[in-house]
Amino acid sequence: MSNTDSTAPDRSVPVLEARNIVKTYGGVTALKGVSLTLTSGHVHCLAGENGCGKSTLIKIISGAERPDSGEILIDGVSHPFMTPKKAIQLGIQVIYQDFSLFPNLTVAENIVLTSAVAQKRKTFSLAQSRPRAHAIVQELGLTLNLDAYVETLSVADRQLTAICRALINDARVIIMDEPTTALTHTEVDRLFALVRKLQARGVALMFVSHKLEEALSISQDITILRSGDRVSSGSATDFDRRSISRHMTGRDIDESRVINPPQYDERPVLEVHALTRMGEFENITFDLHRGEILGITGLLGSGRSEIAESLFGVLPAESGDTTVNGSKVHIRSIRDAIDAGIGYVPEDRLTQGLFLDKSIADNMIASSLDKYRMKNHLLDNKRIARTISVFFDKLHIKAPNVSAPVRSLSGGNAQRVVLAKWLANQPQILILNGPTVGVDVGSKEEILTLLRAEAAHGMGLIVISDDVPELVSVCNRIIVIQQGRLTSSFTGDEIQVDAIQERMSA
Amino acid sequence: MSEQKSNETRQIALQTARSTNQRIDNVVSSSLARFHVSHGVGRMILLTLLAFVIFTIAAPQVFLNPLNLQNIAITSPEIGLLALAVMVALLTGGIDLSVVAIANLTTITISTLYSTIAATDEGLADSLGPVIVLVGFVVGLFGGFINGLLVSKVGITPILATLGTMQIFNGIAIVWTGGETLYGAPAMLNTVGTGAIAGIPLLFVVFIAVAVIIAVIINKTALGSTILLQGANPVAAKFSGIRTTRTLMSTYLISGALAALAGILIISRNPTASADYGSSYVLLVIVIAILGGTNPTGGFGTVLGVVLATLTLQIVSSGFNIVRLSSYEYAIAQGVILIGVMVIDQVTRNRQRSAVLKQRKLKVQLQAKDSNQ
Repeated sequence: MSNTDSTAPDRSVPVLEARNIVKTYGGVTALKGVSLTLTSGHVHCLAGENGCGKSTLIKIISGAERPDSGEILIDGVSHPFMTPKKAIQLGIQVIYQDFSLFPNLTVAENIVLTSAVAQKRKTFSLAQSRPRAHAIVQELGLTLNLDAYVETLSVADRQLTAICRALINDARVIIMDEPTTALTHTEVDRLFALVRKLQARGVALMFVSHKLEEALSISQDITILRSGDRVSSGSATDFDRRSISRHMTGRDIDESRVINPPQYDERPVLEVHALTRMGEFENITFDLHRGEILGITGLLGSGRSEIAESLFGVLPAESGDTTVNGSKVHIRSIRDAIDAGIGYVPEDRLTQGLFLDKSIADNMIASSLDKYRMKNHLLDNKRIARTISVFFDKLHIKAPNVSAPVRSLSGGNAQRVVLAKWLANQPQILILNGPTVGVDVGSKEEILTLLRAEAAHGMGLIVISDDVPELVSVCNRIIVIQQGRLTSSFTGDEIQVDAIQERMSA
Repeated sequence: MSEQKSNETRQIALQTARSTNQRIDNVVSSSLARFHVSHGVGRMILLTLLAFVIFTIAAPQVFLNPLNLQNIAITSPEIGLLALAVMVALLTGGIDLSVVAIANLTTITISTLYSTIAATDEGLADSLGPVIVLVGFVVGLFGGFINGLLVSKVGITPILATLGTMQIFNGIAIVWTGGETLYGAPAMLNTVGTGAIAGIPLLFVVFIAVAVIIAVIINKTALGSTILLQGANPVAAKFSGIRTTRTLMSTYLISGALAALAGILIISRNPTASADYGSSYVLLVIVIAILGGTNPTGGFGTVLGVVLATLTLQIVSSGFNIVRLSSYEYAIAQGVILIGVMVIDQVTRNRQRSAVLKQRKLKVQLQAKDSNQ
């Protein structure tokens, strides 16, 4: 901890400077001369869409990759042959999204172990190291149970453990990759409080983030990359959400609230009454009309995802009634749900939603194969091809053709394939869990437009998300789940980002 | 004003040009993609021809002798059907180790039934031929049903489930026969075993016909699609509403049916049945299935590839016989061919993957340039 004694760090010499970094992979330029400066005590936000070169830049700074040209300066000294080990010795720590912790060790062991290894100690004594871990946790004013196994911790606590580990290794630069994605509203606040403490200690931080508002609220400097170019950089006060997304995508993004009135038929398309699955959610009652988009929000672990999985038959409810179009349905399996006219775009797109190595065409038709069976049991390939090309065009999927494997698509396009799969099955009710997670800003807007269009055609949609601005922009109604219970419902003019966020974390 | 108009028309012209370009791109790349899909098959065609040419050069008189070619055509079908049985299981991400044991149970059933009836009335036994063969087939199908039950309902890992049933079926066959070879089979099978159409052995015709049926099931039916999707990603298959239990059950029923058919061909070729027939086939047919381009983790594979792989290995086997190499040297050759093809596969796959990535990055850049302008 080299900087603990100097409360007012020297800001004239940047801690880390990247100058004109160029990196090509087999003829493709990932970074085209990007420069960036990290100052001690400052938070620097690195923003950009997927594939813009953010991760490449992090890899180069941390020594995992070597740039083709350009240099990395630390305290004004150039380090042409950076390796991960050297970067750590120089005090550069990257906290990746998975935190790289040992789940089978305790918090204290995780905090201390890597520094013990780095110092090439032959023996490791927990008794000796626990005070060190304790000291750092105390110093940061954290409430972390040092003796808990990491596998039992929440995502937020794991992140705190990773930060403590970085600090015990005398980190002067901490780079955090998407630090807030898996955190709830209150946890984010806690993280930001910690970040301010780190700033006071003179640590230079870099946030790589998708969530623009959070990034803006905590950062002093911003660098925006697009396709390997630094398109803009400067002081955070010079940017707002709109201008950042414009720089990221190269165009204006509209996030205003656009909704269509639902069709109030005699009976709603979906009625859920007193749905209960003990330990996950209790007594959930709501309904959904044709043409309506209902938002379900809540903190991570509130039960919002479980309600969706229960309606789709993944985790069948223990009690309660589900009625579709006025007739009662018993959903015991996924097949029951699909037969009842329910579709589900899952949260974990890569494992639950897609057949990555299969073609776009195969993916699109996966849920509706039975619809194309002819009398002789063969598939009607002509009709299938027609359906596929209709959705390929309608959803603007950017791929060379429908036989391209889904693995080759970007997050936004892959999500459109999942959507197409369900739209091809023509469900009456479509449940979407985190439909725009990991999707770049441009695709996000297009996906939301698609949802509005489906609602306008009479489908009932349920969108589950913790991205409140997104829900506000598409939903007719929003319900909030807290600890497995439906605690509030917002309609009409009540639908305001601030009010809902306040309710969520109340 | 007019300037604005000409600007507009230019814009429209540009857009149509761009969309036409896009369309041409689509056509070209989709036809290219089709070529890539059949890449595995193309490779097998080359390999089959290569094996053929090598042994033709090595011993033209013997190898090209019609008798030798007919011999290849007679011995390939049973192995080919067993390989297809393994392939179908591989497509779902599983495997079926019990295929040879099932085939032997079928031959033993047929032979036992026939000899028992023939002991009292040979004419009756022969006239009951179709029934006897059907019973043998049903026994094989039942073997597949047991596998399907264990894998789909109970949820045992396929390699363990079928390892267990292989031992059970094998054990039953040995106990049943007392380890001895049974003689006797319905006369109608003999006709199939020795018959030929235009010089092509009937056995081979049956093999090709069954292969075509399997190809149709896999490529043209909903069941085939679900089998492939199940193998590509079982979790996504479940979330897409594919009935996993039904799909897996059908898979092992098909596999059992193919093994039973292989058994019928075995006893047609030679009217004997024994518990240890084809004991070296289990690994051979797995090699063939994989060599034929079936993805061992599931989701991908072609019937044509497996048929060609069968022929290749039978050509090599027969060629080794002719140039007087031992069966041990043939085993070495099997291994070398398999590993060689896998290595080539891996190298080309890596190259393809980096090409795809490159294309994607280039495209992103082009789009960025477009939007900048």
